Amino acid sequence: MDVKSAFTRARRGLREERRLYIVAVTSLSVAFLCLGATLLGLTNLDAAATRWGQSGRITLFLKDDADPQDIAQLRVVLEGLGDVDELTHVTPAEARASFIEEADVGADLSSLPSEVFPASLEVTLVSGVTRERSESIATRLAQFRAVNDVESYGSWFQKLDHLLWGARMLAAGLAVLVMFCVVAVIGNTIRLAVARRRQEIEVMKLCGATNGFVRGPFVLEGMFQGFASALLALLALLAGYLALHEEVDSTLAALTGSRVVFLGIWTLLGLLIGGAVIGAIGSALSVRRYLSV
Amino acid sequence: MQGTKVVRPFPFFRAGARASQPQLAKPILVLEGVYKFFRPDQPTLREVGLSVERGEFVFITGPSGAGKSTLLKLIYRELRVDEGRVLFCGRDIGRLTDKSIPFLRRNLGIVFQDFRIIDHWTVFENVAVALEILSMPQRLIRSRVAEALERVGLAGRGPEQTSNLSGGEKQRVAVARAIVPEPALILADEPTGNLDPHLAIDILTLFEEINSTGTTVLFATHDHSLISKRDHRLIAIDEGRVVEAQQGLKHWPGSGIHTLVG
Repeated sequence: MDVKSAFTRARRGLREERRLYIVAVTSLSVAFLCLGATLLGLTNLDAAATRWGQSGRITLFLKDDADPQDIAQLRVVLEGLGDVDELTHVTPAEARASFIEEADVGADLSSLPSEVFPASLEVTLVSGVTRERSESIATRLAQFRAVNDVESYGSWFQKLDHLLWGARMLAAGLAVLVMFCVVAVIGNTIRLAVARRRQEIEVMKLCGATNGFVRGPFVLEGMFQGFASALLALLALLAGYLALHEEVDSTLAALTGSRVVFLGIWTLLGLLIGGAVIGAIGSALSVRRYLSV
Repeated sequence: MQGTKVVRPFPFFRAGARASQPQLAKPILVLEGVYKFFRPDQPTLREVGLSVERGEFVFITGPSGAGKSTLLKLIYRELRVDEGRVLFCGRDIGRLTDKSIPFLRRNLGIVFQDFRIIDHWTVFENVAVALEILSMPQRLIRSRVAEALERVGLAGRGPEQTSNLSGGEKQRVAVARAIVPEPALILADEPTGNLDPHLAIDILTLFEEINSTGTTVLFATHDHSLISKRDHRLIAIDEGRVVEAQQGLKHWPGSGIHTLVG
């Protein structure tokens, strides 16, 4: 197949059938936008999970009547552990002040009882410590006399894992749906284009055109539609992201400690290339049956 | 096993390939005992046998529905023979695989009654398509198309939209498209059917000019007045059978032909 000739004929086809293709690209952009938005949500959820996972933390809530010597001994043990990066002793007063500052609920919280804010040791683990290792350290620390309770955030990670799994499944399902949608819409669009250009195909076949020669421009047109739809959807998503991310950023930072991120370069490339490939496949499948002119 | 043998594209049918001396010595087209059935009990073509030499101009005639178009379709392999053989340049085209058919058609120029040109393309684009298929460089396509348009009397009209042309001019564009790849054989299926008598003679003359350069022409028509004006070899088909005269209608052995082609 002469690629240059195929491009020339595809360009002519796109020009001649532009109205049909604009409608198809617009419809497909909506499908790609849904997929892109889901992937954006998944990316941010993943980023938050990664951030939490990497900043391994254990909080040791101390007994109200804990002996200062026991606490000191606990600190010595913790400082001796290679997995511990930082250790902070939070007094009840500091805990109360920090909560009132961060909660920002607009109500007077100064009357809350003192037992709501126990003293604690905030342990920050070095990066790379696995969740299993973190759990094992927490179990060992719970046996110290001064410790009332240990929070290793394991249940939170579990919930987050479930949420991530659900989001990934949703994205995968949506990706499959979008794929079928692209194949169907592009297939039908190309079918209409083929029907309108049936005489051209007939003439080319009578002049000795191979199936590849006839198919070439249609496949390129389908490829262009898939690519253009994905690009349009990503531009719309980027515009939405730029318009909203500052507003969302502060809320998310307060809730999860992470910032909003846009889709990664590989995801962007995957969507664009995937759109083009699926478009080409949809087109090739629909042209196949019209080649026996 | 002979009948089921798969035939690969013939080298001669590939673009740029030339016929060898032994091939050139053979008739360009031979039909041997060809049958074509559309209904099992009534063959459209029966026991058709004919041979066309290189450089010949042959009229194929007969009443509407006699099988002229069917015969041509068997040659450009839109249809496959049910019995017998169609040999083009010594090769049995009935046994070509689907993938080889485009290479066969690149050696043929086909012209139809309804022109089959694309109205929203320019004259140049309509002619150039036959060369684009051969992956020719654009520079060469431009010069070859200009030459072909000059031969059919449309010099300098390449940029014009085909929809603005008259019937006769459209047929000239179709002829230019057929001759531009310099095919070995031109098949014209009622090319004057949609034209008035004056234009029909013009188009016939054009085919004769093409034939004078060495291209073999099979010209199918049911127009008695057109055939009677020329002394070309005449092959008449009636009810699927072939009767032929070597020297045109004037030399036909008997008066039955007037009924046959009238």
